[in-house]
Amino acid sequence: MSIIEKVQYIWPEIAMFIATCVVMVLGLSPSLAIRRLCSPVCGAALVIAGLLAVMGPDTAPAALPHLMPYAKVIVAGVGLLLLLLLAGTVDREEESLIATGRARFNPLRTNRAEFYAFFLFSLTGVMLCASASDLIWLFLALELTSLPTYIMVTVSTRGRSHEAGVKYFFLGALGAATFLYGFAMLYGGTGTTDLSGIRQHFAEHGINSIAMLGLLLSVLGIGFKIAAVPMHFYTPDVYEGAAAPVSAFLAFVPKTAGFLAIMLIASLPGWGYGPVAGADGVIRDGLGAGASLPEALRLTLWVMAALTMTVGNVLALWQNSVKRILAYSSIAHSGYMLVGIIAGPVGERFIDNGLAAVLFYLLAYGVMNVGTFAVLACLEKSGGAALQSGARSTGLETGATTEIETVDDLRGLCRTHPAMGWTMVLCSLSLLGFPPLLGFMGKFPLFTAGIAAGEIPLVIVLGINSAIAAFYYLRLVAAPLLEDPSPASPPATPTPFPARPMAALLSAASVLILVGFAGVLMKQSAKAGETVVSPGHTAGRGASDGVAAWNP
Amino acid sequence: MIGVAPALNGVIGALAQEGPAHAATAAGPAWAALIPALPLLGVVLCTLCAVFRVKNRLPAVLTVACLAGAFGLTVWMFLTTGHGTAVTTSLDWIRFHAAPGHEFVSSWGFFIDPLTCLWMLFVTGLATLIAIYAGEYMAGDAGAGYSRFFAAFNLFVFSMACLVMADSLVLLFLGWEGVGLCSYLLIGYFYKRPAAVAAAKKAFIMNRIGDVGLMMGITSTWVVFGTVEYAPIFDMISRGVDGAGNALPEWAGWVIPSLFTIGAFGKSAQLFLYVWLPDAMEGPTPVSALIHAATMVTAGVYLIARMYPMYVLDGTHWVLTLIAWSGAITALWSATIGMAQFDIKRIMAYSTVSQLGYMFAGLGVLTTTGAAFHVFTHAFFKATLFLCCGAVMHGFAGQLDLRRVSGLWSMRGWAVVTIAMLVGCLNLAGFPFTAGFFSKDMIIAECYVTPGMAPVGWVLLLTAGLTAYYTFRVFFRVFVGPAEFEPGDEAHAHGPAGDDHGHAAGAGTPSSVDSTDHSHGFHPHAPGLAINFVLGLLAVLSLAAAATYFVGGEHGWVGEMVHHSTAGVSGAALPGGGAVHADLETGAPGFLGYNPHAVMYYVSAAVGLIGILIAAFLHGPRGVGGLLIGSRRHAATSRADALLPVLGPVARGAQHKWYVDEVYDFLIIRPIWVIAHLFHLFDKLIVDGLVGLAGWLPRGMGGAIRPTQSGHLHGYAVGMAGGVAVLLLVVLLVAW
Repeated sequence: MSIIEKVQYIWPEIAMFIATCVVMVLGLSPSLAIRRLCSPVCGAALVIAGLLAVMGPDTAPAALPHLMPYAKVIVAGVGLLLLLLLAGTVDREEESLIATGRARFNPLRTNRAEFYAFFLFSLTGVMLCASASDLIWLFLALELTSLPTYIMVTVSTRGRSHEAGVKYFFLGALGAATFLYGFAMLYGGTGTTDLSGIRQHFAEHGINSIAMLGLLLSVLGIGFKIAAVPMHFYTPDVYEGAAAPVSAFLAFVPKTAGFLAIMLIASLPGWGYGPVAGADGVIRDGLGAGASLPEALRLTLWVMAALTMTVGNVLALWQNSVKRILAYSSIAHSGYMLVGIIAGPVGERFIDNGLAAVLFYLLAYGVMNVGTFAVLACLEKSGGAALQSGARSTGLETGATTEIETVDDLRGLCRTHPAMGWTMVLCSLSLLGFPPLLGFMGKFPLFTAGIAAGEIPLVIVLGINSAIAAFYYLRLVAAPLLEDPSPASPPATPTPFPARPMAALLSAASVLILVGFAGVLMKQSAKAGETVVSPGHTAGRGASDGVAAWNP
Repeated sequence: MIGVAPALNGVIGALAQEGPAHAATAAGPAWAALIPALPLLGVVLCTLCAVFRVKNRLPAVLTVACLAGAFGLTVWMFLTTGHGTAVTTSLDWIRFHAAPGHEFVSSWGFFIDPLTCLWMLFVTGLATLIAIYAGEYMAGDAGAGYSRFFAAFNLFVFSMACLVMADSLVLLFLGWEGVGLCSYLLIGYFYKRPAAVAAAKKAFIMNRIGDVGLMMGITSTWVVFGTVEYAPIFDMISRGVDGAGNALPEWAGWVIPSLFTIGAFGKSAQLFLYVWLPDAMEGPTPVSALIHAATMVTAGVYLIARMYPMYVLDGTHWVLTLIAWSGAITALWSATIGMAQFDIKRIMAYSTVSQLGYMFAGLGVLTTTGAAFHVFTHAFFKATLFLCCGAVMHGFAGQLDLRRVSGLWSMRGWAVVTIAMLVGCLNLAGFPFTAGFFSKDMIIAECYVTPGMAPVGWVLLLTAGLTAYYTFRVFFRVFVGPAEFEPGDEAHAHGPAGDDHGHAAGAGTPSSVDSTDHSHGFHPHAPGLAINFVLGLLAVLSLAAAATYFVGGEHGWVGEMVHHSTAGVSGAALPGGGAVHADLETGAPGFLGYNPHAVMYYVSAAVGLIGILIAAFLHGPRGVGGLLIGSRRHAATSRADALLPVLGPVARGAQHKWYVDEVYDFLIIRPIWVIAHLFHLFDKLIVDGLVGLAGWLPRGMGGAIRPTQSGHLHGYAVGMAGGVAVLLLVVLLVAW
């Protein structure tokens, strides 16, 4: 497919790119009023991109023909929530100094233009992942998602965020190197970088060792984006170092890009393999003999999934910092979603389709995750031990404020700040998968798809991990709801950005309200999760033109 | 399951109607449901009184009104139903598919036959009278406790009505458990007294043992007959088929009756399950009178009488033989304990156990009429006796020791109590021409008629003598002789300045009788009008009950009633063709060669009189009060004291209730206690340990891998690269 044909699918990305350019210019205006237009423009761009995605072509000649509209719409939707939450993250001190006349606007010292531009760039990268039809495209899209986040982490706060940004960058480069190596091997093994070409090659000639190694390295490398074991190490340090809104961004945007990429990579061999006795009597994987991924890839993902959820959950038990808890929980959630990837599209129904479950879960996770981070972003306290390191390194006056940090800071929140407290309670319960909240609706199909695919041991691991997760999520529920405000820690005060509580309340409301629209969402995600790859399941399904040819 | 859609119910109900027609049962009056409904209304009203903190005797008035209404309806039901059998369904209660093509049905319906009417008449009648009595007796507790008492009282009558009027075993079981619950609540009424709480628990737990039997019996009935409703069951028994239309299995004839018998033993305090009943006297006396003497404890007799067709299924009747022997042994056993007790209420309690033994013996020797008649007469005279004891307790600040109170007859205001007590004692002792005399005779005489049961008759005859002795021991010690008393240690709630009895709202009976004798600092507090009225009426009724023996058919009015109910024993009902229940003419054993029916009047009269005379000789005061052979001068001592050293261990054993409680403690409670501690240890160490481990494991795992999160960039990089390498190696080795 030429790039000209491809344009019809990427109008949302084009709109986002144009907005990025506009924001870059606006953010450097000497006038505060014009600088403040950055975020409305971003919002408008997201709305337009979402609309374009809905109006764009419904079906593309890809392994997941209906993926694009759904993926782009949820990215735009959660992006809007994140945009609200990111208000005031950068240039807070700078702007206050200018407002009081103690400084003049200096385009070299402001970060607003870059920050919002990178925000849009990163989201554009996610959308491009969904549109990817080529390994190189996919690599570029993934890096377009990640590179801006390195900067966003670094500029989000003063102090610890610099260390976090550097760590994130170097480790991210290592991850990118890994999956780039994998992509290279895929090219080496099949002679093409075109995804449909690789699929065709696999279907016709089987998977040779180099290509298989390429698949495994790709999946492992992309594991960095979704914070899966063994690429998870950076997560708590980076999330803790970055400002809470940026942490929320990290927990959703690269993860979504990573899962879209893993879906595309996994769909190269497809979910049609099973054990077949060869002519020499050795049991081998055979296409069309079963309904799972090739054994090597399945095993890799299986181990990744089991380790990821377990490591994430057991380490979260030890944490006292809410951000670190949420970081580890973010790792664990990636493990849950990998179950859906392993299960794959077992049947046409939503509850049998692991990919649909993952797509639905991404939306649910995005919404409820923004809610929990938003509570942290909405409340700050003056002084406190957490500030000391930051104050030392920047030489700021000690009157500065810092985000609330520990579980103790959440105590009694339902009484002192009812809206924030209840947002924390609802979103934590939803993350826990408490019925009938959105998180339950998301986790349920992961179980059913896993069972439908016959991955019973993995589903048991998933169940045990859900139980372990209850331990720390219920801490986040009990502290605001049942405990008294801690007399030792200074009282939390709201941040002066009304958009942030709006993001929190919207998330909390969505956790409740989207349950009512779960039917529609499930239908859409089931459609987006439809695949034409595995021959065992595509028979009789209306395959798009050019796609059916892959099936021998 | 229970909430089946009404529409579905309608369809199923219509189908059910097409089942086998229940012969000889008519549709009963719908208002019969009001009989249990009125006490239930009383429960609601008394609860409301408690909620609104009513401080006067309103709960008693409401209770009496509700129960009197129920009694009136019962009389009406008796008059309209006559000797027929009627079934009425008020509410479709439980209905679900138990098996393909088979439904479990238990409706809220009532089975009205003469047996039901007989039981309901004395239950509601006595409940009304005792409620009037309790209105005055409990007046010291006016307030929350008063409302609680009457709410439980009403609930008891409701449950008892369900038990007696039920048309299915499930509803009977509901009532059965309901009366058990009320018994528990009322024994433990003085919940601040540890002894009362312990007694309540004991009663509840001992009853559970019996309830297991009843439940298993109901289940077995369901298994055999496929229904728990009386009418179809009796229909099938009369045709000798089970639920599937096959011949009844052999085992059904003894398994189901034995299980029901266990239930009956628990509720009616028979054999080794009696120990809870004497302790149940910790409850307020009206409760003892109504629940633990007159009505609830006869539920076991009712159950066996109701299910009698099942008991006579088995030709060998060994379950009935067992019941007869158990009854006789229980009667003798508890009579011997009763002889040696000093607490007059306990003596009455043991006499209740003893008399229940008579009733069971009657059931066992195939005279359901005798058993039912004895239940009927016993209800009146035992209620009288208990209420008299209650009056003594009420008047002497909880004093119940017969060594510390004497000569009530000569105190002011106690005449009615003494006369009522005398009437009750004569009945219990089987004095000629009293109701108790006739009913007891009927049972004893029947023992000699039934083959192989003569020894039971001798045991019962001996017990009759003992009964007369211990009954009149109480009378001679407490009610006649020198006027002496010590007040009890119980701070009887007397009300401010003792004036609360003068203008009572409860029961609508202002009483004016009160002692003005202040010579002892404590003045015994003679019963008021309400108590005297009830005692007088009950005494008259106890005597009048004898008249029922002479009206109606061969065995009196009660015999007529029983004969037309499911408890009726007719030759045709017996598979053996009635030959078992032989009469003298067919060569069955008689009483020393005489016709038992004819001579038993004289023999038992003589035995009773001997007992009374011995009591008079040992305990009677000098003069007419001691029938001129007594010599007692003080309350505390009597000629019987001289006998104690002679009897030695026998007397001590009887005084200590033959150490049954101690044996239970050693044989059952101790081992269970030990086992419980072992289980506790197991739970603590193993189960809790596993739970703790399950909780600790994830945390421990987290702690173990925590060092990997060192915060060092190079450490992370090595971890990532190493992780990829290890994973690839694993995959290479396992799945390539």
